[in-house]
Amino acid sequence: MSDFLYFFSFQDSSIAFVVMGITLLGIGSAFVGTFSFLDNKALLGDAISHAVFPGICLGFMLAGEKNPFYIVGGAFLSGALATFLSSWLKSNTKLSDDTIIAVILSVFFGIGVVFLTVIQKSGNPEMAGLNQFIFGNAIGIVERDLWVYGSLSVLIIGVIGFMLKEFQILVFNPEFGKAVGLPMNMIRFVFDVLLILSVVIGIQAIGVVLMAALLITPGTAARFWTDRLGILLGLASVFAILSGVFGTYISYLLPQMPTGPWVVVILSSIALISFLFAPKKGMVSRYFHRRSYLQKTQRDHVLKSIFKARELGQEGLTRAELLSLYPHQQSSIKNSIKSLEKEGLLFVNQSLIKLTEPGKYQAKRVVRLHRLWESYLNEYMNIAPDHVHESAEKLEHLLTPDLEAMLESRLNFPKLDPHQEQIPRDHDEL
Amino acid sequence: MIKQVENPILEIHDLTVSYDQSPVLWNVDLSLPAGKLIGILGPNGAGKSTLIKSVMGLVEPSSGYVKLFDQTLDAVRNRISYVPQRESVDWNFPASVLDVVLMGTYGKLGLFRRPGKKEKTLALDCLEKVGMTAFVHRQISELSGGQQQRVFIARALAQEADLYLMDEPFAGVDMNTEAAIFQLLQEMSAAGKTVVVVHHDIYSAVNYFDWFIMLNLHLVASGPKNEVVTEELLRKTYGGKLNLLSKVSELIRQKEFNPLKG
Repeated sequence: MSDFLYFFSFQDSSIAFVVMGITLLGIGSAFVGTFSFLDNKALLGDAISHAVFPGICLGFMLAGEKNPFYIVGGAFLSGALATFLSSWLKSNTKLSDDTIIAVILSVFFGIGVVFLTVIQKSGNPEMAGLNQFIFGNAIGIVERDLWVYGSLSVLIIGVIGFMLKEFQILVFNPEFGKAVGLPMNMIRFVFDVLLILSVVIGIQAIGVVLMAALLITPGTAARFWTDRLGILLGLASVFAILSGVFGTYISYLLPQMPTGPWVVVILSSIALISFLFAPKKGMVSRYFHRRSYLQKTQRDHVLKSIFKARELGQEGLTRAELLSLYPHQQSSIKNSIKSLEKEGLLFVNQSLIKLTEPGKYQAKRVVRLHRLWESYLNEYMNIAPDHVHESAEKLEHLLTPDLEAMLESRLNFPKLDPHQEQIPRDHDEL
Repeated sequence: MIKQVENPILEIHDLTVSYDQSPVLWNVDLSLPAGKLIGILGPNGAGKSTLIKSVMGLVEPSSGYVKLFDQTLDAVRNRISYVPQRESVDWNFPASVLDVVLMGTYGKLGLFRRPGKKEKTLALDCLEKVGMTAFVHRQISELSGGQQQRVFIARALAQEADLYLMDEPFAGVDMNTEAAIFQLLQEMSAAGKTVVVVHHDIYSAVNYFDWFIMLNLHLVASGPKNEVVTEELLRKTYGGKLNLLSKVSELIRQKEFNPLKG
């Protein structure tokens, strides 16, 4: 607990620095990553993040120490080479996108590992901690690194903010952008540079293997919650910051623990929560939406059964009669009866279940839609009368008053359906 | 039957276009008068979309050139408006109807400048013209096909151009929308705008347009309705494949090398 307070009170200026760095890094990569996720180019980020590894090693070899300028420069160059190669392969061969990505990713990362082995054999005492670039260690960041990564992050955030409209059209409709005269090739180039930079800024804190997760997951998770680009970018940043800061805290508690995997764990949890619980698009809300629709369907069916009994001259149905109509849904039918009673659509009189006035109104509507739809199928689509019931059974719950009016006028207010049953209207007596 | 005009608003000179290896348009040479409602007709794969894409500079011709208002495309881009095919974009993109219509103002804004109050007012006006005022803040994925098409047309209107090139604006649109869009196009042409529309249905086209371009890999006809809508030219456009041209295309494709490209 005291560790927690010490960390989050930021009284240690080096911790404050690291957290600030992680925050900037989170916003930058969430911004860039959200656009590349919307552009369906999630895998390109992964390829680039693996492809910067040989550049990191080369930078280290040239500098002879962990100099951030050499390392960032090397990483950027090998990332750029990978990006260029992938678009060159795409336009000059018939290879598919995923093949190109797989080849670039494994070839570059393989070369990087070879370089790393060479460095480890060289016995350079500075090499300790070079493998931190694989899985990241945020706590290992020193002030000099922070200036480099921090200012690059600020640059990325600034450019995205400044060119929001350009990137929006790049992803949504680049052809139109070209048609109105925007330099789309230049905009694409700037975006590619930002994508590489956003990988480069994460190599120390998150590591090359897992950096793609920090790029893509925040936007993916945020997409469940909103349909607005501005909110999407903001929310993605919040998710990235949360996971970044928490991952750093773990690395602070347990210095041997790399940061990247923890960032991924937190991000994945956020994504899972979004997938399950987001309003409208989440699994849980979709489940309840579907359930409430099915319950309404069943209530409509109960009303309809009593209505049909009245058509045959009965006052109502007994509970046993009603339940016997639905032998496989006993308990849910009981619930439907209960909630219809509560809504005031049914009442029980001398053990007979009867319709109230609002209940009659609702029942007539369902039966009417059912029979109108049957008539429509029969008359306009030439479907035989004995084939129309199934479809009407489902659509009677769905048709809106608008469609009802259209059906009525198309069919010219028919009296009878294809089975010669009466189509009930609001003013008809039961 | 190819009728050339004096002072054309659009002149296409001996244009040949190839995709990868195979040529899709052969030696198209035509000129169009201003202020007309012009239909581009032809069967599937006849090169209709390719023709307007090459006018917009979206595909590189193998040979030939295009002149608009007697100038090059780059000099007059602000006077030309383009409606791409509805299926060419991902409608799940997080944007509202207003966001998309505002894109029509991006050309005049240029790089880095954001749309402001003036652009917003313009976009709202354009949405009113296509009858989409009620949907201004609607997410675009929630629109029906016809509504998406109207949004695209509103975006083109926001470009405030003199020449409009529309790729299948009636595709996947219900009867009411089709009539409403057509009425709007007529008003535009009455106001002196030139509207060029790629259209697939010959029966309705005869009622809609007053000038026709008929394509089938090559230019079959270009001229006013009463001169080119003849049984013979329609049969030439739609009747049977042009065996020879498609055979040559096939031959070029197999060579993996295109002699038509310089």
